[in-house]
Amino acid sequence: MATNGSPEIVGVTEAFYQAVFDTDRNRAFAVVQQALDQGISAEELVFSAVIPSMDRMIKAVSEDFNASLAQHFMTAQIASQVTDLLLSKFSQKPAVLGRVVIGTAFGDLHTLGKRIVIGCLKSLMVEVTDLGVNVSPEKFVDEAQARGAGVIAISAMMVHTARGEQGALAVRELLAQRGVEDRIKLVVGGAPFRFDPELYKVVRADAWADDGISAGRVITRFLQGEVL
Amino acid sequence: MITGMERLLAAVNGKKSDRVPVFCNLFDQGALELGVSLEEYYQRGDLVAEAQIKMRARYGYDNVWSLFYVGKEAELMGCKEILFAKDGPPNVKDFVVKEFGDIEKLVIPDDITAHPAFEEQAKCLKILKQELGGRYPICAYLTGSMTLPVLLMGMEKWMELLFWGPPELKNLLLEKTSDFFRKEIAAFRSLGADILLYSNPYGSMDVIPENFFHQESMVWMKRDLEPGGMAGVVYYCGMARLNGAIPSVIKELGIGTYYLSPFDDLAQGLELVGPQRLSCGVINDIPLIDWSKEEIRSEVKRMMEIGRRSPRFLFGTGVMPLYIPQENILTMLEAAYEYGRF
Ligand code: B12
Repeated sequence: MATNGSPEIVGVTEAFYQAVFDTDRNRAFAVVQQALDQGISAEELVFSAVIPSMDRMIKAVSEDFNASLAQHFMTAQIASQVTDLLLSKFSQKPAVLGRVVIGTAFGDLHTLGKRIVIGCLKSLMVEVTDLGVNVSPEKFVDEAQARGAGVIAISAMMVHTARGEQGALAVRELLAQRGVEDRIKLVVGGAPFRFDPELYKVVRADAWADDGISAGRVITRFLQGEVL
Repeated sequence: MITGMERLLAAVNGKKSDRVPVFCNLFDQGALELGVSLEEYYQRGDLVAEAQIKMRARYGYDNVWSLFYVGKEAELMGCKEILFAKDGPPNVKDFVVKEFGDIEKLVIPDDITAHPAFEEQAKCLKILKQELGGRYPICAYLTGSMTLPVLLMGMEKWMELLFWGPPELKNLLLEKTSDFFRKEIAAFRSLGADILLYSNPYGSMDVIPENFFHQESMVWMKRDLEPGGMAGVVYYCGMARLNGAIPSVIKELGIGTYYLSPFDDLAQGLELVGPQRLSCGVINDIPLIDWSKEEIRSEVKRMMEIGRRSPRFLFGTGVMPLYIPQENILTMLEAAYEYGRF
């Protein structure tokens, strides 16, 4: 598998990044299809075009690019849909970077933030299990243990679901009780955390992220064993 | 004694009253005030009115609300299930539009005031009007046509339809929600609401890209607002940033009052709104839960120092979370009364 890329892939990567940046789904798919037709493998496309493009988006967002929510949403959707298409064409089951379970906090029915984070993680080759909405603390921890997940990700849009007794705090408690805190990291996000950047500490999470694309960076770092 | 309405009118006219008007948005706190559960509280308009009146009197701020919770608007369009919590606001649980096909079936009631879901709100508004009318401004919350679909189908599905779905279907839904909006604002006006908060996060470039704002959001905002005019209308993006939108909104819609975002630069917001129009500086009320007395006071002071440079300025909050200790609400208000004094 080529990772640094043949001359063709360099052009494909640039074209793919531009399409994602412009949130043009049709163009992104057209770029990928054309590359496949030219004989570039699905593996090479994922590792040399999709992942580097997401990394570049992450960098742009963390530096100065002021993306709107719609752009985060569309970027995540395009990148994860393209990844799904390419994965179905892989000759062997791909190696994943790690596993994550994600859901919205207990009492919270807002799914958009979670969906964006899932899209970004998928396109970075993270295996994500979506536990849905209104997830109990037990379910978060049980599922994380059953699936060997390295990160539990919780999305909450309101203060009471971010800080409530059935939210991240209860998940932390269970992780401690079961003695798995060194193996499973707790990452949170959603509107209240953006209004109060210190809130993740109050709910005893290991980290938070301001937007979906940055969530990809924070979570993959944990999966790669980095201590933040 | 000077009333909230007198303070507000002074600010509207660029005159000084005793202090900057203070709008404090307490909703769920009403249930605590009366010692009932949130679910019971929100079933009854008389309870909501009673709590609004009591809280205003106890804390001394300048406005009251006829809003129960935002999901009420979904109920008026057919939502049958609301999720109540014991420590936070109710939320839409049942989506009226489950699949795109449901959009055609969506019916906007002819007379929303005759809808059973409106009854308790009307009752609340009537009591507020009787008790406080003319003395304290009564606020109503009205979600814009481009944001209403979120309450009907969730934000995820709406984003998909808005950006990638069939344009006819998207426009059909927006026509229906815009019709709903026009009826709703007319109803609240006729029942005597003084302030009409036009809530539209899709009027913020934090939510949608700039070109989309100009090409799409603006068109629907015009359709929503132009028939009834801009009197009493306040531009608000659900606490998302709006400084970038202000010049176009002034030019194309002519709205006179702006409920700024704590994520924007306040001084810049005031400058963009200009001295002829009213700006509301809004405190980031989520950290109020944990801030110390000193932190609260210094933030209010900072905002008032900037705000008082404008002849037309109010001080306001977001949807104050129930988790904010009463003491901290008091600290914020006392600081606002003190640093807002003319
Ligand atoms: C748009 C909006 C609305 C819309 C639609 C909301 C919806 N999604 O259903 C409308 C106008 C309908 C609305 C209504 C309400 N809202 Co509102 N709303 C907002 C606004 C402007 C944006 C929220 C949003 O949907 N963002 C979209 C999502 C995708 O963004 P996000 O959650 O921030 O997620 C991003 C990041 O946080 C991150 N992320 C998300 N999850 C995760 C998870 C992990 C693990 C990581 C790492 C990162 C991450 O990535 C995402 C993508 O970049 C915010 C204010 C703001 N500026 O954020 C208020 C806000 C969330 N609303 C608020 C409230 C209270 C409400 C209501 C409950 C009010 C009421 N009393 O009825 C209602 C509920 C309506 C209902 N569902 O029944 C409060 C919540 C705070 C609080 N007081 O509890 C806010 C913060 C406003 C405020 N300060 O007062 N709202």
